[in-house]
This record gives sequence, structure tokens and C-alpha cells, in this order.
Amino acid sequence: MARIEPDVKTVKEIQAAGGDTVKKCYQCATCASVCPLATEDVPFPRKQMLLGQWGFKEKLLSDPALWLCHQCGDCSVYCPRGARPGDVLGALRNMAVRELSEFKFLWTFYNKPWGLPIIFLICAFLVLFVMSWFHPPISEWVGSLPMGYPHDEGRRVLMIDALFVPLTVFVIIMVAIGVNRLWRGLMENAKIPAAYRLGLWAILVTYLVPAIKEILAHSRFQECGANRWRFNGHRMVLWAFVILAIVTTTVFVGADILGFHTPWPLYNPIKILANIGAIMLIYGCLALMANRSRAALEGSLSSSYQDWFLLWLILLVGLSGLATEGLRLLENDWSCVAYIVHLILVAMLFLSVPYSKFAHLVYRTTAYVFDLYSRDVRAKMAALEAQAAPSTTEEISAPEATEEEGEEGTSEEGQTA
Amino acid sequence: MAYDKILVVGGWISGITAAVEAAEMEYDVYLVEKEPSLGGRVAQLRYYFPKLCPPTCGLEMNYRRIKTNPRITVYTMATVKNISGGPGNYKVTVEIAPRYVNENCTACGECEKVCQGERENTFDFGRSRTKAIYLPHPMAFPMRYVLDKSALAEGDLERIKEACKYNAIDPDMQPQTVELEVGAIIWATGWKPYDARKLDNLGYGRFENVITNMEMERLASPNGPTGGKILRPSDQTEPKTVAFVQCAGSRDENHLPYCSYICCLASLKQSLYLAEQNQETDIYFFYIDIRTPGRYEKFLRRAQEEARINFIKGKVAKIEEDPETKDLIVTAEDTLSGKKVSQRVNMVVLAVGMQPSLAGEAVPAGVSVDENGFVQISEGMYACGCARLPLDVMTSNETATAAALKAIQTIVRG
Repeated sequence: MARIEPDVKTVKEIQAAGGDTVKKCYQCATCASVCPLATEDVPFPRKQMLLGQWGFKEKLLSDPALWLCHQCGDCSVYCPRGARPGDVLGALRNMAVRELSEFKFLWTFYNKPWGLPIIFLICAFLVLFVMSWFHPPISEWVGSLPMGYPHDEGRRVLMIDALFVPLTVFVIIMVAIGVNRLWRGLMENAKIPAAYRLGLWAILVTYLVPAIKEILAHSRFQECGANRWRFNGHRMVLWAFVILAIVTTTVFVGADILGFHTPWPLYNPIKILANIGAIMLIYGCLALMANRSRAALEGSLSSSYQDWFLLWLILLVGLSGLATEGLRLLENDWSCVAYIVHLILVAMLFLSVPYSKFAHLVYRTTAYVFDLYSRDVRAKMAALEAQAAPSTTEEISAPEATEEEGEEGTSEEGQTA
Repeated sequence: MAYDKILVVGGWISGITAAVEAAEMEYDVYLVEKEPSLGGRVAQLRYYFPKLCPPTCGLEMNYRRIKTNPRITVYTMATVKNISGGPGNYKVTVEIAPRYVNENCTACGECEKVCQGERENTFDFGRSRTKAIYLPHPMAFPMRYVLDKSALAEGDLERIKEACKYNAIDPDMQPQTVELEVGAIIWATGWKPYDARKLDNLGYGRFENVITNMEMERLASPNGPTGGKILRPSDQTEPKTVAFVQCAGSRDENHLPYCSYICCLASLKQSLYLAEQNQETDIYFFYIDIRTPGRYEKFLRRAQEEARINFIKGKVAKIEEDPETKDLIVTAEDTLSGKKVSQRVNMVVLAVGMQPSLAGEAVPAGVSVDENGFVQISEGMYACGCARLPLDVMTSNETATAAALKAIQTIVRG
């Protein structure tokens, strides 16, 4: 018999990341039965609690259940031991984001309160550095603040492209690396036989579209009983990001490539859409914040620094954007400062995609895709088993290395805002 | 100066045992019981551990010991209102509620026949009704009727009085107060089933065929609401499939943070009731850990042999009802296979945990209870049975004998 050694270091890591209650679990499996999202074949989070107690990091971090959980808190409310499985899974997701990421120091800055000023300074430096490139020397315009909105169209557009195009490329690469790692882990952990492995394209075509449909409709999120209050806010924020992504892309093509001057007038349909998106973003964010506070009072959910960081960042992005627009319309000289602050915050949000809680956007999507795919595989295997009981089919055919790149499709979603 | 009498609060199996043990050591004992009869939980059971005797067995013998011992004074419908003094010299105020039926009653039952008003039968947990004038249960002690005035129908009182040949009906009876002087007090206040309605995910009170383990005892008991036939409430048919849901409230910080000790054994025992009724009954036994303390391990083997039990290691946390058939769908994760199980059954028995009777009740000053309502022992104040911790009958009786000895020690040492 194999000797199983607990990995105490990982256990401590889980406890430090917000899963301090993991050891309280006594494996009654109440959590897996009350969980509205746990399926018959792959119930969670009881198993993950056990793996957590033993510190089986590899298995845990490549477990789709981590991302299939929407943390409604039902399990924590009904847990007879106060082991708070919902919070433990939250902590594990946080650890997973770190493990999946490249340049882990950025993860550290994003996930520790002391890293906040560092991230701010990094992004401020980026913005100001690029600005100083396209505008008169920094010393000059800092002295003349407030100087009004930078109406010099050409230079402003170039400046933004110079900053955000490389940033986006960087984020896409980082996300692709993370998704690729996650996918490999998922495939290995689930021991999907070679015969059932599909190519990247087949996976994307067959499973990404239904996964995105589910995500946009928030159908699984809605199943979380205790979660109804969170459902609306979260969906609104997601839809706001989708709208803002469309707006941003349109403006990028329209202004930066085709040369239609911005700012566009308020009656422009794209402008209207942008403002609707901004308001939805702020409203959804406030709803999520209010409800998170309430859930903490009710004891169903405990919120970590990472949770609040992301909510505040998104809220401030929305508010600073609207402030810039408002001050510009009022022809107030401070609109320039608001604009700079907005750009810094947007850069922070962009860069956070592979490192902060924001990463759930891509990793959860990946897990959804994997879930749909592995369900199909299980169904096919069961059918085959039932059909051909005597002759065990060979598992040599259909080689196909599926695990090259992750899905760009999902990572594209990461570039919104 | 020290008093040499002992007060036993609670006249169920532990209290009766403590009282007779002390009295047989030639100490005077007051036995105070809140209900109209002694007997308590044991009287409600079909069989009880360790030997699966019917309750008459132990109760009759003990009633005899009371009847033949002049040192025991029994007060029923009596509540301890106040305690003053300390070890060796307690003064206790006991309030006795009016029974409206005096000592003349022979339990002939003529009154019951003419009475029209009815009340919910708490002895059957509300699963049957009695007349407004009723015998607490067939093994009542004292063997006397009680009148619930609030349940009387119009004209009942006249009819009852007329029917009684012994002039036993006394509607003008008043509450009484007695002052007792005792050297030591034994708390034997027993337990109550935890309120299953608080387990909102298990559907008790919403779904007809979800019952508690104590209700199961009443169904199986020959003097219960179904005359000893185990029938499911919705259609009074014999259930062919039954799920036992262990730890319903026990070992749960949101409800009872301790193990109730007896529920696993009770469910195994009830599996035997079902097998006795119909050998083909399929039983689904959902558990976290099966706890059969000490020598009871043998009983688990017996139940496995004699009943068709499927053991599933996983706590039930969801029960749904099929509105048409009133069957229940019980959900748990089978932790041994790692799959979620949804089992359809005709009836569900919740193995509801034990809560000390004093939990959530106002307790006279001087008595200390812990956060769960269990009595804490101090010099002069002793506790036994389930007032002290969750136990089976046999061990309750052992703690009762121990408590009697401790009470005597307090008196003897002055």
C-alpha cells in the first residue's frame, strides 16, 4: 500500500489564504448535498475539503470544482462544524490564480494590502511615462496643472495605443499561459483517456459557445439559492463589461484606425451605449458591495481583501470615467487630472486580469468548458461500457495533443473595460 | 440544622430509579413530576435498550417499588418554583397544578366515554387525539384520569360528573403550593426531542411522510396511534422503503453540538421493527459515523443480519417530496463512492437528537446548566440520566444510582 504523506506546508498555505477553517471538516458531506451546483457524478466541496486537509495541492488546483463553485455560501451556512467550505474554496481559487500565473511577484502585489501602493505606482508610472512621451515634458505640464482636457486628438490617441496595446498583449499572453496550465492540469487530473481527447478547435467550437451562453445568462449562478441577491449585481457587472468591450473595440477601430475624432457627441449611439455601460457597471458594483456586507452579517460569506479590492477597483474605474466625461462637458480644467486617474485605474484593472480575483473570468470560463466536455466524455464512456460489455475497446486510437494553447476566446473577454 | 430528605426532580426512568434507590437506603424522598404521570420517554417506546424489553417491563417493577415504599412521596403535575438555602438545608417551593380529578378515581373510563371535547395527544406527539378527560397513558402512575378544562365541549362537565360513579371529578380544585425541606436535590428532568422543524432542509412539518424517531416509536408501539402497525402518515400504508437520516440536529454547531448517543442504536432498533413487520422492507441508512458505544457493537451486527439495510456513509442534507405519491427523494453524497445519491423512499425517519428538557426553560435560581441546558453538578445538587448528558436507559439508571449515593453522602456528611 502506498504511504500517503500530508503536505503540511500546503495546509498552512490554505489556512493563511482564508481557508483557516479547513481542518474543522469531519466529512459528513452535508455541503455536497446542499450545494445546488454539485452534480451527481462530480459532487463538491466535501472532497476538496479532504484534499485540503491533506494538502494535496496538485490535485486541488487542477480540480474543476474550484471554479464551478459560485460561493453562494449554502455549504457554509449548513456546515455542522463551522468549516466554511465556501470560504475554503475561495481561498483555493486565490491560490490557484497564483500557481497558474507567470511573474508571481505581480500576483503578490495584487493580493496583499501592502502591494496596493506598488501596483498604483507601477500603473501611474506607465501612464505618466507614456504621457510624457507624447506630450510636452512632464515637468512642464505638471507645473501648469490643471490644464484642461487634452484636446490634441492625434497625440492622445497615440498615447493610449502606446500604453494599452502592449498592456493588452501582455495580459493576453499571461492569461493564455494560465489557461493552458489550468487545462493541462484539468485533463491530467480527470484522466481523460486519449481516445476522447479533442483538438483545440473542436473544443472551442463544441463547448466554448454553450459555456459563454451559460455565463452570459448566469444560469448556474442563479441556481445558487442563497445567491439570488448577488445574481443581479454580478450579471449587471458582467454585461456592463461586455458593453464596454464592444464600445472600446468600436472606438479603437473608429478613432485609432479610421480616424474619426473623439470625443464623440452624446447622441452618438456608441456614446449612449458607453454611458449605459458605465452606469450599469457602477450600479452592479454597488449592489455587489451592499450585498457582500449583508452576507457577511448573515454569516454565509466572509469577504477577503481580494474580494473588496476588485469591487472597489471596478467601482473607481466607473466613477473616474464618468467624472472625466462630466468635467470635460463642463469644460472644467480638472478633467485632465480625472482622465489621468481614470487611465491609471483602467491600467490597474487590465493588468489585474491574470493576477487578481478578476482571473475568475477566464478560469471559470475554462472550467465551464472543461465541465461540459468532461460530462460528454463520461456519458460517451458510460454508453460504450453499456453497449459493449464483452470487448474492452482499445484506447490507442486518436492521438491528438489537445493541450497546446488554452482558449483565446476566453482570454479575449479579459480585455474588456 | 441539616435536613435528611432528598428531592428528586423528574419522575421518568432516571428519577424513579434515583428515588427508589435512595428510599431503599431508608432515606425519605420527594419525587416531583411535571406531567400528570410518571414514566416519561421510556413509556413512549416500543422496546428499549439493552435487552429490547417493552417499557412495561421496567416501569411496572419500579412502580411497585414506589408503591410498597412508604418513604417515597410522589407529586405529579408539580413544578419546582423556588429554591433557597444550600447543601444540607434547601427549602424548595413546589407548585402543584390542579388535576380536577381526585384520589377517588379508579380509571374505570366511564367519563371518557361521555366526554365530547378533544385535545391533541402529546404522548403521541400530536399524532392522535384524546378526550378532554384522559388517562395520560396506559402505564400511568398514578393510575388516574386528568381533566384538561380548556378542551371541554359544552355540557361535557355535567356529563362527566354524572358518568363518574366515584365522585372523583372536582372542577373547583385550586393550584397548591408545598414547601419541602431537603438536604440534597437530584435533577432527573430528562430530555426532549430536538425540534425537527428547525432542520429546514429536511422538510419535517412540510412533508407528511417525514417523521421523527420518537414518532416512529409511537407508530410501532401497540398502544400508539396505529395500534403498533408502522404506517406512513399520508395514506396509512405500510412503507416498503424507509430512509433513516442520522444526526438530524446532533453533532451540528447550528443545532446540537454534541452526539446524542442513542440515535444510531435507535435507528438500528427501528430497522428491526420494520423487518419484523415486513421482511422485505428496504432500509436506507444515511450516517456520518455509526456509533454503537461499547458492547452495543454486537447490536449493529444483529441489525445487519436481520433487516435489509443499505448503509450509505453521507449525511442527508436535502429532502424533497414528490407531490403526487408523497414519496420522498433523499439526497446525500455517498462519501465512499464519491457520488451524489438521490434515493426515493416511501417514508423518512429523522434520527432527531436529544435535548435536555431544561434547554430554553427558566431554571430556578441555584441550579446551574451549561450552554446546552445540561445540569451541572455541584455539592448538594446532582443530576442523572439525560438531564446530565445523553445516555441510554441502562446507563441513565447507573447515573441515577450514583446520584442517589451522592445525595446521601451530602446528607450524612452534614
